[in-house]
Amino acid sequence: MSNWTPFAILALALGGAWAVACVEQAVAGVRVAPALVLRRAAEQLDQPLAVPAGRDAWLYHLAPPLLLVAAVVALATVPWAPGFRGVDLSTGAILFSAALAYVTPSVFMAGWGAGGPLAVLGGFRFIALMLGFAMPLAMVVTAVAAPAESLRPAAIVEVQHAVPMVIVQPFAAALFVPAAMAVALLAPFDLADATTELEGGAFSRYTGLHAGLIALARKILVLAVAGMTAALFLAGWQGPLLPPAIWMALKTGAVVAGMLWAGRRLPRFELERLLVVAWIVAIPAAIGVIVLAGLITLLFYR
Amino acid sequence: MISLPVVLATAALLFAVGVYGALSQTNAIMVIMGIELMLGAAMLNAVGFMRYAWPDAASGAFFVLVVMTLMAVEATVGFALVIAAFRNRRTAELDDLTELRG
Amino acid sequence: MSDLATALVFWPSAAIMLVTGLYVFRTRSMARAGLLLLASLGIEGLVFLSLASEFLGVLQLLMMSGEMVIMVFFMVMFMADPGGLMGMDMTHDKRRSAAVAAGVAAALGAVAVATDWPGTVVTGAAPDIEQIGFEVMGRSMLSFLFAGMTILFAMVGGILLAKHGGRLGIPAPAGEPRDEEGAP
Repeated sequence: MSNWTPFAILALALGGAWAVACVEQAVAGVRVAPALVLRRAAEQLDQPLAVPAGRDAWLYHLAPPLLLVAAVVALATVPWAPGFRGVDLSTGAILFSAALAYVTPSVFMAGWGAGGPLAVLGGFRFIALMLGFAMPLAMVVTAVAAPAESLRPAAIVEVQHAVPMVIVQPFAAALFVPAAMAVALLAPFDLADATTELEGGAFSRYTGLHAGLIALARKILVLAVAGMTAALFLAGWQGPLLPPAIWMALKTGAVVAGMLWAGRRLPRFELERLLVVAWIVAIPAAIGVIVLAGLITLLFYR
Repeated sequence: MISLPVVLATAALLFAVGVYGALSQTNAIMVIMGIELMLGAAMLNAVGFMRYAWPDAASGAFFVLVVMTLMAVEATVGFALVIAAFRNRRTAELDDLTELRG
Repeated sequence: MSDLATALVFWPSAAIMLVTGLYVFRTRSMARAGLLLLASLGIEGLVFLSLASEFLGVLQLLMMSGEMVIMVFFMVMFMADPGGLMGMDMTHDKRRSAAVAAGVAAALGAVAVATDWPGTVVTGAAPDIEQIGFEVMGRSMLSFLFAGMTILFAMVGGILLAKHGGRLGIPAPAGEPRDEEGAP
């Protein structure tokens, strides 16, 4: 990690958020207008702050920065290229899970801080959802780290030089992608704050700068989650002809487009059904995935 | 400038805050929070010893792992007790749950 | 980490950790109390990071967010005034417990400062995650097994405690409200 890494990560965050917004437009079938995205963002930041009356001031004002910090830290752990590995910690995969874990308190703070009953309900629904989904997310990261014998995301990318992890451990990918979409507040898991549920849910009472920060943080979250999926499961920057950074950008873009397209196609899942699946199916399956990962490591990666 | 006594003194202060909370709160859940602060202070002690006195001992890190596990376990059992108490007595205030008081 | 970097992370983090820890018990709003505890124990993770324990710091950050969210959940369920708007005072024996806490701090602080600790040279290399892994799976495997079994017993016991009718599984009678002193 050099002295330029923090600036590079911030630039990547801003540029990546703008790119995700353009991909959202493309997936929605609207003509992609990159300048329009920037203009709309500027208009939103220009709006005055209208704070709701029954608010808890500390929580209301601290939720958007917390979400933004969590998103940027999650983005910083993703390895993009052999020369730009983000914050190259030896426990990078756990830092990724830890940063994503702070999305839940910030959604709760947003809901509770706004003070309206529907906002509070949105926050609590998200807590209920993430309590079930956080365990498979962290366990699958462990399972993917086992063949690499390291928690460093760059090492996990490098161990996939022969075969991408999605082929070796498909169940791990099947558990990771929905959990990652849920934590990135993406449809079809966006119970916390869909526009048609609970009048917009947890984030509905924010205007102006706060709403702009939240929108920016959500796009950075999508980018971080998609980048980590590409790194952990699709062999990151490995590929035959093109430069490594181009491969990583292509794979991340494909994952972003896939996640956003799935959000538009699939109807929103019910909370009760998701909780049943999370607690009764996903957590035992995650334990099975870890056992399987151990077997695969001993048989193939040693 | 940061040496072992500094870290241990910080942990002592955190432990004292936890003691204040555990002793002065009437609700069972707040007492659990005080106990979590005390366990956090114990972890800080272990990390301080590992850094400044015995840098090669990975058993200090294992001690911290076990204490983190115990924080979760204690919270689990504490919340289960609160649920049971609330279901039977409609209150989780320790001042009202005095049946065993001699 | 260099001395300056360590000090730059340690002092603010320790100060915020202590202040937010104290405010957990001085605030009236229950949601704020839970989130202040999250801030305190989460920033303890930053303190661990400044003391060169990378794995423990990141693990502390990860686990505390989940635990504190559950704690806020339970507080809003079971406490009388979760928003803190009615101004109920939920403490007892404040002065005595403050005196006990001050005494404990003084005693532990005196032990910390006055003891002659072994003067090891700080090499700057705390056990990294691979060494911790070997320790856990090797020498401390028995303790690790017992910790795992403790978690399992706590989970099963907690569910049994919290079920309607306890371990006998008698379902709750429908439609009959229990009075204040009600027996099941």
